[in-house]
Amino acid sequence: MTGANYAAGHAMQAAPLASAVEILLDFLDPGTIIQVLINGLAKSSVFVMIAVGLTLVFGLMGVLNFAHGSLTMIGAYLGGALVLFAVSPSMGDFTRLGAFFVVVVAVLALLTALGAALEISLIRPLYDRPPLYQILLTFGLTLVFDEIVRIVLEIYDIQPTTKWQAPLNTRPSFMGQESQRTLDWLFGVRVDGMQVFEIVFGFVVVVGIWLFLTRTRYGLYIRAGSEDTEMTEALGIDVGQAFTVVFGLGVGLAGVAGALLMWDPIRGGASVPLGADVLLPAFVVVIVGGLGTYRGTVVAALIVGMTDATMTWLFDNHVEFAGLPELVVFLILVIVLIVKPQGLFGVKEVGGH
Amino acid sequence: MSADADPGDGDASDTSTGGAPLVEVEDAHTYYGESHVLEGVSLSVREGENVALIGRNGVGKTTTLRTILQLTPPRRGTVRVKGADVTGMATHEVARRGVGWIPEDRRMFAELTVEENLTVSVRESERTAAELERAFETFPALREHRSRKAGNLSGGQQQMLAIARGLVGDNDVLLVDEPSEGLAPLIVETVADVLRDISQNDDVSLLLVEQNFPLAVDLADRFYLIDHGQVVESGPTEGLTSDDERIARYLGA
Amino acid sequence: MATDADEADPGEGSGPLGATTDVGGGDPLAGEPWYRRYLWDHRVHAAVVVLFALYPFAYSGLTEAMPATMTTLLPGITVMVGVLYFGLFAMSFDFVSGYTGYLDFGHAAFYGIGAYFVILVANDKVPLLDPSTPFMFSLVIAGLLAALVALVIGAVSFRLTGVYFAMITLGFAQVIYVLMSNWDYLGDNPRSGIAVNTSMHPEGFEVGVPFVDALNMQIASANFVGETLSTELAGHVIALSAPEVSYFMIGLVVGFCYFAMQRVIHSPFGKVMIAIRENEERAEAIGYDTFKYKMGAFAISAFFAAVGGALFAGYRRSVDPDNSLFFLVAGDALLAAIIGGFGTLAGALFGFLFFEFLGELLANNFVSRGGESVPDGLLPYLRDVLGEGTLSTTLFGDVTVRTVLDVLFNGRAELYIGVLFVLFVLYVPNGILGTLRLWLGGTVAKKLPERIGSRLRGGQADPGPPDD
Repeated sequence: MTGANYAAGHAMQAAPLASAVEILLDFLDPGTIIQVLINGLAKSSVFVMIAVGLTLVFGLMGVLNFAHGSLTMIGAYLGGALVLFAVSPSMGDFTRLGAFFVVVVAVLALLTALGAALEISLIRPLYDRPPLYQILLTFGLTLVFDEIVRIVLEIYDIQPTTKWQAPLNTRPSFMGQESQRTLDWLFGVRVDGMQVFEIVFGFVVVVGIWLFLTRTRYGLYIRAGSEDTEMTEALGIDVGQAFTVVFGLGVGLAGVAGALLMWDPIRGGASVPLGADVLLPAFVVVIVGGLGTYRGTVVAALIVGMTDATMTWLFDNHVEFAGLPELVVFLILVIVLIVKPQGLFGVKEVGGH
Repeated sequence: MSADADPGDGDASDTSTGGAPLVEVEDAHTYYGESHVLEGVSLSVREGENVALIGRNGVGKTTTLRTILQLTPPRRGTVRVKGADVTGMATHEVARRGVGWIPEDRRMFAELTVEENLTVSVRESERTAAELERAFETFPALREHRSRKAGNLSGGQQQMLAIARGLVGDNDVLLVDEPSEGLAPLIVETVADVLRDISQNDDVSLLLVEQNFPLAVDLADRFYLIDHGQVVESGPTEGLTSDDERIARYLGA
Repeated sequence: MATDADEADPGEGSGPLGATTDVGGGDPLAGEPWYRRYLWDHRVHAAVVVLFALYPFAYSGLTEAMPATMTTLLPGITVMVGVLYFGLFAMSFDFVSGYTGYLDFGHAAFYGIGAYFVILVANDKVPLLDPSTPFMFSLVIAGLLAALVALVIGAVSFRLTGVYFAMITLGFAQVIYVLMSNWDYLGDNPRSGIAVNTSMHPEGFEVGVPFVDALNMQIASANFVGETLSTELAGHVIALSAPEVSYFMIGLVVGFCYFAMQRVIHSPFGKVMIAIRENEERAEAIGYDTFKYKMGAFAISAFFAAVGGALFAGYRRSVDPDNSLFFLVAGDALLAAIIGGFGTLAGALFGFLFFEFLGELLANNFVSRGGESVPDGLLPYLRDVLGEGTLSTTLFGDVTVRTVLDVLFNGRAELYIGVLFVLFVLYVPNGILGTLRLWLGGTVAKKLPERIGSRLRGGQADPGPPDD
């Protein structure tokens, strides 16, 4: 806490009140607000992508998958490898986008299969143990996954700790750094193609999953199972199978998030540390939303994304404390847990083991 | 524990009240962790009859229902549904053989709408519309609230929904746990009427756990009296009152 | 200590002393002075302490005799120093999480507080504390500060349970991590950590009794900073390098902390901690104010975590956010505790020892031993032993023995640890020490001597007191 005060104090030494007003006025400038909003939406999209699989799995099964970040990382590398294979330099922008979606579907399929296999072989034996053991097991899996990825990278002579650059060349020309455009008609807001792509991508995924959950019979079973596994089972539904499907899907979605981040070196980029980097914000989003509630996760991703964007703006313009956005994200977690322990949309008994 | 004769034997004399056996429990021993809850329960429910489980709180009535559904499988003993051994099977497979569960405190999916609560329970998806229609005919009040979240219904409405869930599952036997609990006397009447109605018109047998003794006797053709995890008395309910010395001894004053 | 053990030996039989007492089955020392009794009760502990004390001598003896093999197999002294201070941290984690069942995923915060605090004191960054404050003082103050922080964090966190508790503690720890990674008051580049100001402190920190020169030794990983020792004992010259001196001094502190925590676990307070883990509602129903006990356990555990961190930073003379405050540091403690045995206290240290053993075995470098370069790690060792001929043997295609060895052993410790950990979670959920306990039917310290005793008497079971 003292750090924030100290750093903020730097910026506001002379006349704290005056500069607070000044900052507020600066922020209320339409250009600034729209800029922060767009940045925030792009961040929210990324947050919702990395958290949504985690939330589905926790909602139904009560398993907090610590390997989720590592699986995102695997998705990033897998997506990178596939996109390098699928895209040739001569391709136009739209063909590249098409190829990317084929890659996303492939990553989703492959990692869903991996997730289902993990559930059947490793997670299933632990359901009748205390929830601690599921955390432990998935935590152990991160070590194994990270190391396997390192081995593979070593074989292909790719640096594991720096962001993988090669797949970035497969992006359509409207992404990338050089694609930043100043939209003069929109109060001079600067937008880059990657942000727009992420916002659209996140929106499509959120709506897609929402339709799956609310408009399909299997989605209905998942929602019922999330509320009361035993009762659902007693109504004749194979919840065990649903566990496998959902865990698989959760892992698949982690992979899709990775594939998206593979194309975005600013908010992601394929590297081994990406796993730990996305795991914590994903936890924050899932917990703040209320462990296992889909709506809560989407709302929390928006809150965290917008806060992150606002804090980044504050740091860029007024506060000399580089850790500000990250700090505030974790503060949101702590404060929500203090004020509303079950999260914004959480139901009390879920996860309160 | 005067009933030292194997209570299972008693069933033979009761066969007259029903047809082919739907649910048979034979010498079931069920544990919660280390605590031995059912100490050799045997009973049966047959086509065309309703059976009540009576006894004080905590003697193993709910556990008997959970044992039948394999929610808490017995460590020893067998459970048969329509003649087939289901011991150790997954709960959903037992349910799909036509066993419905209307549990204590109803266990609605509170976040799901009434309609969704019913849809989950329909086992063949192509029959959803027809089954929902059947449920709404039996429970007109549910039709009115079909788009409301189940968590927002009143206690009585929730009980109706719970029964309707059992009904649309096209079950042959419903395990009904304390249907009158926590409901106003008038609502209890309605619930009783509905249960009587579906058992007569929909070819459903009831295995009923009920604290309300007159209600249990009224709905059931036969009873099993359970004490300390064992069946201690059984027989037809006709003419049975709580003053009956066999009953009074176990139910207490 | 060896003589004590010898004296105690007759007690294994059912001597006259043992027959007259009914306190502890075959307690041969009833009526003896308390310290003899204490040592007798703790004879397994004493044996372990002796083994640890002898290790540096055994290590240097063995590596002189068989340099290549022993250097490969045995963890070096610097690694063992790490086992001690990080083992203390892992034990402190087990103390709160293994015994109360509350998974503290933010435990690294306390380790980091201890580590940062002693260096900040030494660098004159802490108000009111002079940079010349004895290390032992700042170590204790670091512990108290961590306990205080634990009380603040615990006050809000212990309203939650299960996953939520794990997450809120993780959140708090990450807040501290981000703060310390970015606060430029700490040093020029806080993200890459801080180091002891060598112009203020050219020598290692002193561990021992403050202000009594004879009872202090410096700890440091390098001879030119720390203290070496050379003395003659019974005609043998005993020379200790700075890491070896540090090993003993840090070992003293860690041993003391272990026995302190072990005392608490075996006190009525510890019984309540276990009751909370087994069934908190019941513990509450019996009338315990479980909140207070949880807070107490959390504060004690934070204290010792900070001591571990202080020893770590004091020995290494630097600390960075990622090796002290980052949540994965707590993850390492968790791994160690699970492999060693969750809820066994000492198991956490042995679990970490096991890790470091694996890590050392799978290392890939050479060290200088007696003037020659000796492989340290399985891969260089195997290369050394097998020779070029075997290595270039083709197995299939263009895959040679060398390639296979490289893939299997080249710095792959994490992989094996991960696989091993997963296997432990699945098949040995009680860990090494926990499984031993189940097998022996009580704590190893208590049951092992009984077992051995009964074996010696011809397989007759020792009746023993009922396990408390």
